[in-house]
Amino acid sequence: MQVLIEMKDIIKVFPPNVVAVDNVTTDFRIGEIHAIVGENGAGKSTLMKVLYGLEQHDQGEILLQGRSVHFQDPGEAIARGIGMVHQEILLIPQYTVWENIVLGAEPVNFIGMIDRDRARQLVQKKVDEFQFNLNIDAKIDDISVAAAQKVEILKLLYRNVSVLILDEPTAVLTPQEIPQLFNELRRLRDHGHTILFISHHLEEVLDLSDRITVMRKGEKIATVQANETSKTELAQMMVGRTVLFTSHREKSTPGKLIFSLENLTVIDAAHHKRLENVNINVHEGEIVGIAGVEGNGQFELVNSIMGLIPTKQGNLKVNDVNLTKADILERRRYISFVSQNRGKMGAAVKASILENVMMTHHRLNPHFTIWKGLMLNDQYARKFTGQIEQQFSVIMDRMDNPFRSLSGGNQQKVILGRELLLDAPFVLLDQPTRGLDVGSIEYVHELILKMREQKRAIFLISADLEELFRIADRILVLHRGKIVADLPTDQTDIEEVGYLMLEGKEQ
Amino acid sequence: MQRKLISGIIGIFIALLIGAIIMLLQGYNPLQTYGALFNFSLFGLFPLATTLRNSVPLILTGLSASVAFASGPINLGQPGQLLMGALFATVGGLYLDLPSWLLIPVLLFLSMLGGALWSGVAAMLRKWFNMDEFITTLMLNMIADFFTFWAISYPFFDRSAYSPMTPQINTNGWLPIWGEFNSNVIVMILAFIVIYFVFNRLTAGYEWRITGQNSLFARLGGIKIDKNYVTVMLVTGALAGLAGGLVVMAGPHRFLKGLGANYAWDGVMIAVVANNGLIGTLLYGLFFSAMQTGSLGMELITAVPREFIQVLQAVTVLVIVAGRGYLDIVIDKTIARRKARERTV
Repeated sequence: MQVLIEMKDIIKVFPPNVVAVDNVTTDFRIGEIHAIVGENGAGKSTLMKVLYGLEQHDQGEILLQGRSVHFQDPGEAIARGIGMVHQEILLIPQYTVWENIVLGAEPVNFIGMIDRDRARQLVQKKVDEFQFNLNIDAKIDDISVAAAQKVEILKLLYRNVSVLILDEPTAVLTPQEIPQLFNELRRLRDHGHTILFISHHLEEVLDLSDRITVMRKGEKIATVQANETSKTELAQMMVGRTVLFTSHREKSTPGKLIFSLENLTVIDAAHHKRLENVNINVHEGEIVGIAGVEGNGQFELVNSIMGLIPTKQGNLKVNDVNLTKADILERRRYISFVSQNRGKMGAAVKASILENVMMTHHRLNPHFTIWKGLMLNDQYARKFTGQIEQQFSVIMDRMDNPFRSLSGGNQQKVILGRELLLDAPFVLLDQPTRGLDVGSIEYVHELILKMREQKRAIFLISADLEELFRIADRILVLHRGKIVADLPTDQTDIEEVGYLMLEGKEQ
Repeated sequence: MQRKLISGIIGIFIALLIGAIIMLLQGYNPLQTYGALFNFSLFGLFPLATTLRNSVPLILTGLSASVAFASGPINLGQPGQLLMGALFATVGGLYLDLPSWLLIPVLLFLSMLGGALWSGVAAMLRKWFNMDEFITTLMLNMIADFFTFWAISYPFFDRSAYSPMTPQINTNGWLPIWGEFNSNVIVMILAFIVIYFVFNRLTAGYEWRITGQNSLFARLGGIKIDKNYVTVMLVTGALAGLAGGLVVMAGPHRFLKGLGANYAWDGVMIAVVANNGLIGTLLYGLFFSAMQTGSLGMELITAVPREFIQVLQAVTVLVIVAGRGYLDIVIDKTIARRKARERTV
């Protein structure tokens, strides 16, 4: 196969001194699906952004069909046939599919008005050519995320792009939607397109791609043929050591009831029922997981438990203490909480690590203050932060540095440390591994299982079904604000839960 | 800290340079002008003492703005709070007859009470009617302006005066003057130490700071952010009120028309330049006071009008605020480029 793009000795340093891409040399060929895999922070997205002109490399050279190119912005890259689909969908919800696709490159008639008929025809032609199953007159608001992603791809095809870069395209899809996307990508490859595919789901990568480039800590480890490698080998290259994919956990022996939520109903300002008669029980030494497509009531569930929205109907008890009307501080005596968004809910990123560690402890643990709670006990807080650093193997420079100077995995370790050392009987985990790399995910899972051994009641909300199947003892499925199933993990499988998530009933 | 100091000094230097160019374009001699400016503000006991005295209202209103902005509430009511504080201290000074050692603290307390009451109105408007303090504090400034004007024109009017002003307060309430130095500086430094300690060492200050950075995180952590909001409004109102009380007690010893001058807006500007840092507010407050103090002398011996200082102030604000981010970017990019070159095989 003919080489289309060569990247030679690419170096990208994010100011002041984060080496994101370190002397990477690789090539991409015409008509191949080429996966770029690596942990978070391995530099795979940055490498692709350099190619697409979103980031400028500091050293090195990019050759397109043998000629040196340096794109200053994505517009130049698209003009030369290279396009990228980002993780987030960037479309105008009120516009139709075809309007979104032609936006910015509209066909015009002789007096400069948009030629709507021709635009629709051009879009329809592309849809037919690549056999995308898509109604071009539908509004983006009314179509699924999977369909919106197709629109993003079509947007590039409409601009006659021959190299498609996809940044973790499966992250927003349900298990049922992924094979369809893959079929469409294969069809594009057979038409002679080159697909560059960023992912850290190794099974997908092996299923879809022809060649795979593995990156670790900014460096390229290897480029291999997909049919000559295995999941274990890829994982080893990614992480730099052997990773266990099955957790060796024993069956749980749940004890007494710790957490109970009875008949919770949440109605929002627009009078929509967001949650309807939700009942959840979690016992000590048990991990209960919630599966569901995002936006089916998880947000309201978390906010109700934490007391961010007042409960009008329902009852919340932890350890037989009624917390339905309790203020947040009172709840925090009984609830450890890890939120899904570190920067928004889990930390003040510009404040120091020390100040982030003290949160909540400074009110609940008398050691953290002197003079009857009036003044902070700096010494104790430092000792405590050192303890978290050790116990949770956090890599930090100085505890007075801002929280955001930590890597994502280390940030999450600090947050987990802070919350778990509150010694609350109930632990609420809202997507605790979102955005973490494989190594950190493994660590978090081990930690959660250890908490289970310590007889805590653990409630895990996750969009990642593999995660739920790996560590949860029971899986509840949330669909349009209702719990539609309560299944012991060993008596169900990913397909069944996936179907329940989408349809809300048994197959 | 060190980088902040360096970028501040570089910023001031560049601002003075730009000021020099403007003067050259208009045909003035910049060296002579700057010489006069700093001769009359820093060099010598009397100029220095005057600069210190004049810095007090700037720094206190600056601290008020810094603490508020860094804790979340956009309290822009320092002008009104200053006037109310000044009025409370004046009225106390007119009617109370106490020995000096008691009257001075009482008047200082009254001025803080006046400022806190006025910011408290804004806090309550938010609590009860969910009105944004950004708007209400600005509106309350105007009300305070006209209310105090009415107060000094009618109920507390000095009948022997030709323009709106009160009689002088009880001499026991005058702040002592030692040689050239006015003791209002001592009160300001005490207030600075207290607020610095509260903000950086006390549990309350920790909660204010974290709430200012991320209020949702603070709330989820169990901090009662609504209660803290009211406290911060009251404390920052008290600081601005204290500034007003000191203006009366150190200077004219009465409330006269135009007493508030532009102190409070300059204070807000200083907070912005200092990026809400307390030590920065103190240092920039002294610098801006030096410029304002020296401007009188500058006008006296050069042809440059006093209004030029306002231009210089504006240039300083722009250069420092714009340069703050830019210097970091330049330094970071230089390091990055060097690192990339090192790594090339």
